[in-house]
Amino acid sequence: MPPKRPAEGAHPSSALMTTTLKRTVGSAASTSSKKQKRGLPAQSAGLDNPQYDVPGSDDEPLEDLDLVSDVGDDASSTDNIAADSLIPRGAKLNLSALARKARQYERGTRADLVSHMFGDQDFAYLQLKGDHVSRPLWIDPVDGHIILEGFSPIAEQAQDFLVAISEPVSRPSFIHEYKLTAYSLYAAVSVGLETEDIIEVLNRLSKVPIPENVISYIRSCTMSYGKVKLVLKHNKYFVESTHPEILQTLLRDGEIRGARVVPGAGGAYEAANGANGGQTKKLLHSTETGSGKGSAAGTPAPSGAATPNQKPGQAEADLFTSVVGVDQDEIEEDDENTVSFQIMDDKIDDVKKRCHDLDFPVLEEYDFRNDTVNANLDIDLKPITVIRPYQEKSLSKMFGNGRARSGIIVLPCGAGKTLVGITAACTIKKSTLVLCTSTVSVMQWKQQFMQWSNITDRQISVFTAEQKEKFSGAAGIVVSTYSMVANTRNRSYESQKMMDFLTSREWGFILLDEVHVVPAQMFRRVVTTIKAHAKLGLTATLVREDNKIDDLNYMIGPKLYEANWMDLAAKGHIANVQCAEVWCPMTPEFYREYLREKPRRRMLLYCMNPNKFQACQFLIDYHERRGDKIIVFSDNVFALEAYAKKLSKPFIHGATAQVERMRVLQNFQHNPVVNTIFLSKVGDTSIDLPEATCLIQISSHFGSRRQEAQRLGRILRAKRRNDEGFNAFFYSLVSKDTQEMYYSTKRQQFLIDQGYAFKVITQLEGLHHMPNLVYKTQSEQIELLQSVLIANESALDFSGSDLMGLQGAQGQKARKSAQKYEAKRAVGSLGALSGAQHMSYIERNKTANRQLARDANASRHKLFKKRDVQKKQANAG
Amino acid sequence: MSGAHTLPNQLPPIHSFLTTRPQTTLSRLYARPSACLAVFRLLDDVARQIVMSLLWLDSKTGVDLTSWVAPNETARKHYTAAVQGLVRLHIAKDGNGRILVLPAFQAGLRRALTGGGDHRSFGVPFPIARGKDAMTTEQLDDYALERWESILHFMVTSGSAVGRVAPPSNAVIFLLRRSGLMVPIGVEKSPESRITSQGFQFLLEDSHTQLWDLLLQYLAMSENEGRDLVEVIGFLFMLGSMRLGQEYSTENLSDTQNVMLQDFLDYGLIYRRYPDDGTRFYPTRLATTLTSTSSLSFTSSKHEKAASEGFIILETNYRLYAYTENPLQVAVLNLFVTLHSRFENLVVGRVTRESIKGALANGITADQIISYLTVHAHPMMHKNSPVLPVTVQDQIRLWELENNRLKSDNGYLYEDFNSQGDFDLVLSYAKQLDVVLWENREKRKMFVREDGHENVREFIRRRAEA
Repeated sequence: MPPKRPAEGAHPSSALMTTTLKRTVGSAASTSSKKQKRGLPAQSAGLDNPQYDVPGSDDEPLEDLDLVSDVGDDASSTDNIAADSLIPRGAKLNLSALARKARQYERGTRADLVSHMFGDQDFAYLQLKGDHVSRPLWIDPVDGHIILEGFSPIAEQAQDFLVAISEPVSRPSFIHEYKLTAYSLYAAVSVGLETEDIIEVLNRLSKVPIPENVISYIRSCTMSYGKVKLVLKHNKYFVESTHPEILQTLLRDGEIRGARVVPGAGGAYEAANGANGGQTKKLLHSTETGSGKGSAAGTPAPSGAATPNQKPGQAEADLFTSVVGVDQDEIEEDDENTVSFQIMDDKIDDVKKRCHDLDFPVLEEYDFRNDTVNANLDIDLKPITVIRPYQEKSLSKMFGNGRARSGIIVLPCGAGKTLVGITAACTIKKSTLVLCTSTVSVMQWKQQFMQWSNITDRQISVFTAEQKEKFSGAAGIVVSTYSMVANTRNRSYESQKMMDFLTSREWGFILLDEVHVVPAQMFRRVVTTIKAHAKLGLTATLVREDNKIDDLNYMIGPKLYEANWMDLAAKGHIANVQCAEVWCPMTPEFYREYLREKPRRRMLLYCMNPNKFQACQFLIDYHERRGDKIIVFSDNVFALEAYAKKLSKPFIHGATAQVERMRVLQNFQHNPVVNTIFLSKVGDTSIDLPEATCLIQISSHFGSRRQEAQRLGRILRAKRRNDEGFNAFFYSLVSKDTQEMYYSTKRQQFLIDQGYAFKVITQLEGLHHMPNLVYKTQSEQIELLQSVLIANESALDFSGSDLMGLQGAQGQKARKSAQKYEAKRAVGSLGALSGAQHMSYIERNKTANRQLARDANASRHKLFKKRDVQKKQANAG
Repeated sequence: MSGAHTLPNQLPPIHSFLTTRPQTTLSRLYARPSACLAVFRLLDDVARQIVMSLLWLDSKTGVDLTSWVAPNETARKHYTAAVQGLVRLHIAKDGNGRILVLPAFQAGLRRALTGGGDHRSFGVPFPIARGKDAMTTEQLDDYALERWESILHFMVTSGSAVGRVAPPSNAVIFLLRRSGLMVPIGVEKSPESRITSQGFQFLLEDSHTQLWDLLLQYLAMSENEGRDLVEVIGFLFMLGSMRLGQEYSTENLSDTQNVMLQDFLDYGLIYRRYPDDGTRFYPTRLATTLTSTSSLSFTSSKHEKAASEGFIILETNYRLYAYTENPLQVAVLNLFVTLHSRFENLVVGRVTRESIKGALANGITADQIISYLTVHAHPMMHKNSPVLPVTVQDQIRLWELENNRLKSDNGYLYEDFNSQGDFDLVLSYAKQLDVVLWENREKRKMFVREDGHENVREFIRRRAEA
């Protein structure tokens, strides 16, 4: 009977906890001994031969896999657990526990009068180096924070180094903070930095000696990271490493061994002898013994086979094959002294996961120059295309060693992420799949590809709800959305065919736009269904309120580069932005209701606040007169429509049809009369509007820092940014004394950490003298209040259904049909029905979109012009 | 910082104190050359210029200096202010625009500048014994700082439960209480003291101002105790004109002054190398810079830079980095900053709503916080204009405003009017006076500000009689 495994597979989180603890005790413990420990609780009393590991490990990842694929669309909690189990263990290493120990050691007499104010955070015991003045940074022993003097003469070099090894926390003008994390160190290793180099350079830059625990943290994180690479060569997957002993360690794992492709089938068995005998013996003494024969041949070990009654001799023989054999002929010696072994294509995911579990996360690299199997794509940047220095820097991290590394590049919106992606595609020159978040951005990507590279229309195709085309030729580019590819519901015949086309072939390169917004399971589905050699994620903000960002590290790769916003702004690559928070007091009537209502309706109340309305109108008016192009953002569709109609401006939200969207956007870009548009969440990302120079935000998604940054990004690429003294404007309208204030502070945190400053405006000068000010009288305000109070449930929606248009056509249809059957029931008196209490049916607020549509039609024929003029006069009169 | 930056109509605190004294006291004071010099040094530039130009003039009628003044508004203002100051200090006399330096001051200052005489008002140096080294200025600075900061530190920590510092001598505590900087906890006699909001404000001032604040209190106290004010002030001025690093003898000092010497030991103004030897003393930098208008700059080994140069960096993300290892500065920062961590030479903290609110609750004002941060801003920060990020300044002020959102007005409620007509009549009258705070026609009620009450009541009475 196979021994029962500990509950690792079933409750990954608890298993994780135990292993985490162990890591903190002996972080550098060798893998084999660790494995021993981990297995121990499983050992039932009757077993004298510790052969528990192999059959068990075959079961475990399978369970793991089930968990992942089952997660699907339901409860995110399951998803969390599954995701947690994928986080490399090093990431959970408890740094502070180590630090505390170290401190107790070193503390002692240095405590002085103010030490108590800092508690655990008093590091005065760290003695400054003699020449500390010329060194730019401090290292916090407790949480691995690094504080950098931004004005030090060598700050720039130090910054480059720190960006490579740590996560930037805040980068305002003088003092920057960075944080060492497991992922950042992983990324550092993956771009080719060695452990000792990291420690040495850090020590050279630091004012204080690097705390012992930080050193051991760096060691433990970098020890295993990046040492193993997964390479697709000649269309075969190889696990590659410069450290043969690591491969041996991996091969000792049953499952990885199971996934290995043994060249010449039985040949491996005979190869066991000779020179490495001594080493084999040593290995024998470790608890690790061989598995069943089957696993070496590539089939999963039958769980019953590896039981104690297996003869020791046979086990030895198996071990010889698996270890010595590898040493001798299967591990191919590369010119760079790397060793590798091949694994089966369909086991790649299992192997990746298993390697993560074993603390050897694989680094994915694509040797595209030597890939002869996949057809080359004839694509190059146009000669006129200019790449900016920081774009080049980010790409150099990706193609550092002549191969393509998978990973994420973080650039502020408007800093030319698209061009980075296109350049990467032009470097790899293989079939490329681009995934983005909305149909609008699909079009933009295609257009950008055509603009910057010499690709022809035939070679690039789009796959959306409306269009399903294939490129011609052996290689090409497909642009699609996440939802199209990840969709699990029934597909139309055509899209099914297109999907088959996508999944059947092998992609050289997959570009993932706006990676931070995509739900984890959607990603997983994309990553597993599409076979790609290299993955590049692009984003502006790697922050999420739910910390799902960690998933990306596993699924795509480490963060390769992150730009400094303030630097780019200073160099004119992105616009200078003046940020302001406008405080709008609630009117007494609204505030009374606000205090009474349930939280959901409260949100509607504070964004429909008449004072906010007025502030919005005033700002629009002010900036239109300055000649700015303005985007107004509202998360809430009800408010969006109310504002847009009242102020008669065009708007776009999730339910706006594609044609209408395009028309509105085009008008905004080219029509000098249309200077303001209202956008819902659909406009947060990807809609490229370089004309916009001013942003007003009237309602937003709680405390989402990411959204704030994304929205700011809409104006960073402003065309006019290099004009003398040009400033873009970003206003956030906040109703005073409401929850919004709290959220607003939270939202700004990311940008503030990037060095932006939000000015608070409590009083808009001249607001009350404005002609045509809306909701000036109390009765108008009460009328507005009434409309808010009777607004039905769907109007209260701030989060879900309007998202991105991700749901594509189906989502839109569903929404539309839902709207059709909406009915609302309200209590009203007879007086109310007959028009008292401000209830009446008058369609005052017409949508400006229709006007645009009419204008668009108006130009169709000369004959109608006269009539239009007459009509206009009639309207005016 | 008193002299250089004061507005024309503002005198340094000690001068304001002197102007309240009778002329006889001042004349006696000006008999001491050291006092004349000290008063002169604390004058502002224009006043000094005037005194200097008239000092050697033996005219009995004085001179009209207005032709020297540049013909513009500000220059004239400065000039008049300076003259007024001199007159109030009884240094000069203004006879119809002709200025004359009064003989008492003239003689005193002349003597101070030319030297000679046996007034000994500049102190009597103690001869250095053979084979013995004098104290170095560093040693003296260390001592003075330690003394002075221990007092401030005691104040800072007296409010909190943890990390209290041993209290200074009773005399010091007495003075602190007298100045209203601290109050006793519980009964009047209890030795336990707690800092007041005034005390918190005191902590944010620069040490020169702090010192004078306390010394003025000391003067007032001495006066109450019946000591001769001329002796006391004279001694302060004497200290102010002494040389740092020189040991002085006490042989010339009066009893009062010997008592003061003893008191000043507690504040770190005075150092005695041999505590038992009452015949000699060292003045420290705190004492010798008393009459200087420049701010204190210590050359102490420990507090090399922090004490003199700015050390605070405040970022737009509300993070604050202070280059300091001085526990007092840390403790002061702790008043309005949430401190996070500390390295040997750096303190990391954050300006938060809570921390500022806490400071405001202690009676510290937003302006004081901002000025403290500005004055102590790191040299790097001076590249910015304004020095502190505007957004943070605004935010600190806004946090302060949050406290003052309710405005209260005293007034009277008028109700129970007999008829709508009466009400309207009274209302329109009150509105003419602009004293109506609130009205409700339906309920026939209105609320009238306190200052309008008399008139409105009178109006109603007259109406009722008519």
